[in-house]
Amino acid sequence: MSTESGSDGTRSVSVDADATVGSELFRVLALGCVLIATASYVTVLREVTRIVGGTQSLFLVVGVALVVATVFARLVRPRTATAAAFAAGAVGFAYYFEVSGVGIGGALAGLEEIVADTVRLATGLNLLRMIEAGTWTIVFAPAPAFLSWYLALRGRYAASVVPAGAALLFLVLTGDAGTTATLIGALGALGAVGFGELERRGGSIAQADVLAVLFAIVIVLSLSVTIVPSGPAAPVTAGGGDDGTLEGTIDSASEQSGIAGTVDLSPEVRFTVEADRPSYWRTGIYDRYTGDAWVRTGQDRPFEDDVPPPPGSEERLRQTVTAETELGVMPAAAQPLSVEGDVVDYTEVSMHGQIRPATPLAEGDSYVVESAIVDPSPEELRNAGTDYPEEVTEYYLQTPEGTSSEFEARTAEITADAETPYENAVAIERYLRSSKEYSLDVEPPEEDAAEQFLLEMDEGYCVYFATAMTQMLRAEDVPTRYVTGYTAGEPTDDGEYVVRGLDAHAWVEVYFPEKGWVAFEPTPGDERDEVHDEALEEELDDEAGDEDDQSDGDDADDGADDEASDEDDRSGVDDADDEPSVDDPADDLIERNDALAGGEPADDGIDVRDILALVSVTRETAAMIAVVLIGLVAGVHRTGAVARARRTLGVYRHGRRSDPDRDAERAFRRLEWLLAREHRPRRRGESAREYLRALAAETDDGLAHDPRTAAVLERYERAVYGGGVDRETADESIAAVDDLSRERVPLVGRRRSEGAE
Amino acid sequence: MSDAKQTHEPDAESAADEPLSVDRVADLCDDLAANVSRVIVGHDEAIEHVVTAILGRGHVLLEDVPGVGKTMLARSIATSVDCTFRRVQFTPDLLPSDVTGVNVFNQKTREFEFQPGPVFGNIVLGDEINRAPPKTQSALLEAMEEGQVTVDGETRELPAPFTVIATQNAVEPNRTYDLPFAELDRFMKKLRLGYPAPNEEAKLLERTVGHHPIESLDPVTDRETLVRARETVAEVRVEEPVRAYATRLVGYTRDNAQVGVSPRGTIALLRAAQARAVIDGRGYVVPDDVKAEAPVVLSHRIRTHADAQDGTDVVEDALERVSVDRTRG
Repeated sequence: MSTESGSDGTRSVSVDADATVGSELFRVLALGCVLIATASYVTVLREVTRIVGGTQSLFLVVGVALVVATVFARLVRPRTATAAAFAAGAVGFAYYFEVSGVGIGGALAGLEEIVADTVRLATGLNLLRMIEAGTWTIVFAPAPAFLSWYLALRGRYAASVVPAGAALLFLVLTGDAGTTATLIGALGALGAVGFGELERRGGSIAQADVLAVLFAIVIVLSLSVTIVPSGPAAPVTAGGGDDGTLEGTIDSASEQSGIAGTVDLSPEVRFTVEADRPSYWRTGIYDRYTGDAWVRTGQDRPFEDDVPPPPGSEERLRQTVTAETELGVMPAAAQPLSVEGDVVDYTEVSMHGQIRPATPLAEGDSYVVESAIVDPSPEELRNAGTDYPEEVTEYYLQTPEGTSSEFEARTAEITADAETPYENAVAIERYLRSSKEYSLDVEPPEEDAAEQFLLEMDEGYCVYFATAMTQMLRAEDVPTRYVTGYTAGEPTDDGEYVVRGLDAHAWVEVYFPEKGWVAFEPTPGDERDEVHDEALEEELDDEAGDEDDQSDGDDADDGADDEASDEDDRSGVDDADDEPSVDDPADDLIERNDALAGGEPADDGIDVRDILALVSVTRETAAMIAVVLIGLVAGVHRTGAVARARRTLGVYRHGRRSDPDRDAERAFRRLEWLLAREHRPRRRGESAREYLRALAAETDDGLAHDPRTAAVLERYERAVYGGGVDRETADESIAAVDDLSRERVPLVGRRRSEGAE
Repeated sequence: MSDAKQTHEPDAESAADEPLSVDRVADLCDDLAANVSRVIVGHDEAIEHVVTAILGRGHVLLEDVPGVGKTMLARSIATSVDCTFRRVQFTPDLLPSDVTGVNVFNQKTREFEFQPGPVFGNIVLGDEINRAPPKTQSALLEAMEEGQVTVDGETRELPAPFTVIATQNAVEPNRTYDLPFAELDRFMKKLRLGYPAPNEEAKLLERTVGHHPIESLDPVTDRETLVRARETVAEVRVEEPVRAYATRLVGYTRDNAQVGVSPRGTIALLRAAQARAVIDGRGYVVPDDVKAEAPVVLSHRIRTHADAQDGTDVVEDALERVSVDRTRG
């Protein structure tokens, strides 16, 4: 048993809580925390390499860095090691510049641009947007890992947290480190410093409770206050489309296109296009697939009418696009070659050839685009061969690491009869259109959306169809990309197409040598139209024929169908049997009604799922809650609430007996609490005897003058300093203190002592 | 008598070496103090300190102005315990052999005979020790530390008990050789008597003018008993919490002064505390014993940052701030 006497003189008793633990334990804990901090950002980097490849290399370089750090920790002084880390980092980045084609000379010459790039990264440009993201990751990882592990092994935990923290902070700023990774990294850093201090100062386990409280505070704060931007910034959606709409999902952010669960359709008119013929109005091209989103790599540059026309036969289409709402994209038929109008000054073009506005278009903005329509015949496509240019294979064959062999096997099965890339594409397109149903009401994918859609799901919407087809074709080594935009929309009498939010769409472009990018449509058109018409119809009903009426809605059907048929023809899908290319409006209506009738129960299902989602607690959440609870307990312990409560009770009750010495001591402690309550607590440097003597001098009467008090003190001294007391003596002390305390129970005690007199 | 002491081997005492009971020693000390205070008026605390020093096998340094009764204190204690009392007046021309003794050629036996110096006494008063040159000082101080003196290559045991009470004149600093810090450390305690309070001084005059009471002072005990009492003190229990407390106190002085208390100081502190416990009738040391002894035992072993006279303030701080019970921090 030991006694703590705080600076304020309060005293509490705990049982061997100050048993100092070997600093070895704290060292292990501190080193563990450094590893956790390192792991937190390596995990973020691994998320990048999982998508672009190079996970093994990443782990290898980090592992080598740790081993080298271990060796260096024994041999090399800190200054040398720090210099080595910076040198390694410099060499690494020089290598990165070589690989990314800039060259070291170029890098040095373009220092400004590098600074600008760094600023862009630090202000939220995701790592995945980088073309050489894999190389960058591998170059970035080892230096901080080496330095922090080296410093940790040298026992400089606070310093070791700096490189790890800086690395993590950078990834937080790029938006790649999610809340969980950041939190774990921060906890690791905190733990490293905390346990390191405990090791250095020979702390005890009892002091680790402060650390537990800090952990809890960090978690609670990070969950309740958002200080750092996590994930991409607020999405710039087309015309303020609400979250949860198909449109919002497809174009959730200019550089990224998400794959969500259930989506709604927005009937709002986005823009109108004046053109000779309908087309899909493309707004985005994406090359990098993460498993749950599409990312556009590379940077945009100002558009200067210098986009090379597709190599194959071409046909020009002039379109006049007028924005009807605020618009964050510039829809245009593929492949836009030139832009005219006011907006041309702030038009940018992505590395992939898609135009987009640097700032969102205002309502009423209008521009003229001339596009080169690629429309080769199936025969041409069949004979296009596989002589792909390097810049095409570099970007458009990417698949995330860990794509299952099952996915590849199924794809191979589906394309078993296909011999050319074109036949592959057609086979996949036909398979998806025929085997999967169209539905906007789907569970969000847990793992790889393409894989899950192909292997497990029975229905989905255009995002799923297009994603699956892209990844399947890539699995067959056909360069493919995922594109987003709008379908042709609803034609009006004066040659205009009115495009609404619900026309948002995603499809696929496949590259053919000498021809260029050719669009393919894996989404079953008629089913899609049904669903979309319903949405429009509902909206029109709501508006009670405000501007459109029922017949216009039917017209829209026809237009979309026509368009879809065009698409079919263009990609040479000769499957009129499977898919009616021209719909009978009557059938359509009937089916639509059926669909409407069947729509109700589905809603209930969603509710149940929502509730389940609320109830279920993820493992991370459970762990966080556990840490918070431990922190709470430690905090209660630290503030001494338990000790105080126990003491208050302990004054009146001795509790379980142990050996006589301890009992005599505990009896005295109880007496001390009584004295502290009646007079004042014992001062820090005051011995028990001095305390009683001082109290006796300060007061005329009371506890300090009670002979029993002196006896308890004497027995206490004998127990602690005089080699011990026997059982009987200890019991006498206990009995004396029992009496003394009971005489002083508020109210009851007073009455009792009065009654006794 | 000095011859007898000189040939007295410590082994010979072992028969009578049985420790006394604590109560008897406590009574003895009461008698002793009462006896001494017949002569020394108003310095009860100092008397107690000297008695604990003797019982705790330590030496005492009295620092004060002349004429406050330093010599009388030493003499009356020596008389009370029926021990030999020797006095050395330290002067600038005093030689080491004047303290330890010399071999003198005996014409009759034609042999050298050892003529013991004043250090061969049970209670030795080194008067104005700081007026002698360091070489002579160190002769006495070596005797204090070793319990023996070496003259002409022959080592001679000093009698037991052997306690030095040295006085230091604090009024003429430019005519003195200050004791080196390391040698100060060999004194268990450094005391100041100070002037007596006015009423006490009146009592003192009443007693001493005319017939001095020291002439009629009778011993209350003998040398044998004193040796046995010292054994009792040596066996007083010092439990771990007390040792830890002493260590913390000493540690505090080391942290808060230029030179803190040496381990020798810690040992002295606990020995003095043992003696005090016995005086209080206890067979074990409680922290209060340590606290009572700490100011006189520790202060002169501390050199403060400000290089003030001694570490009294530091010891006071230590007593106030260092927790008596073990703390967690």
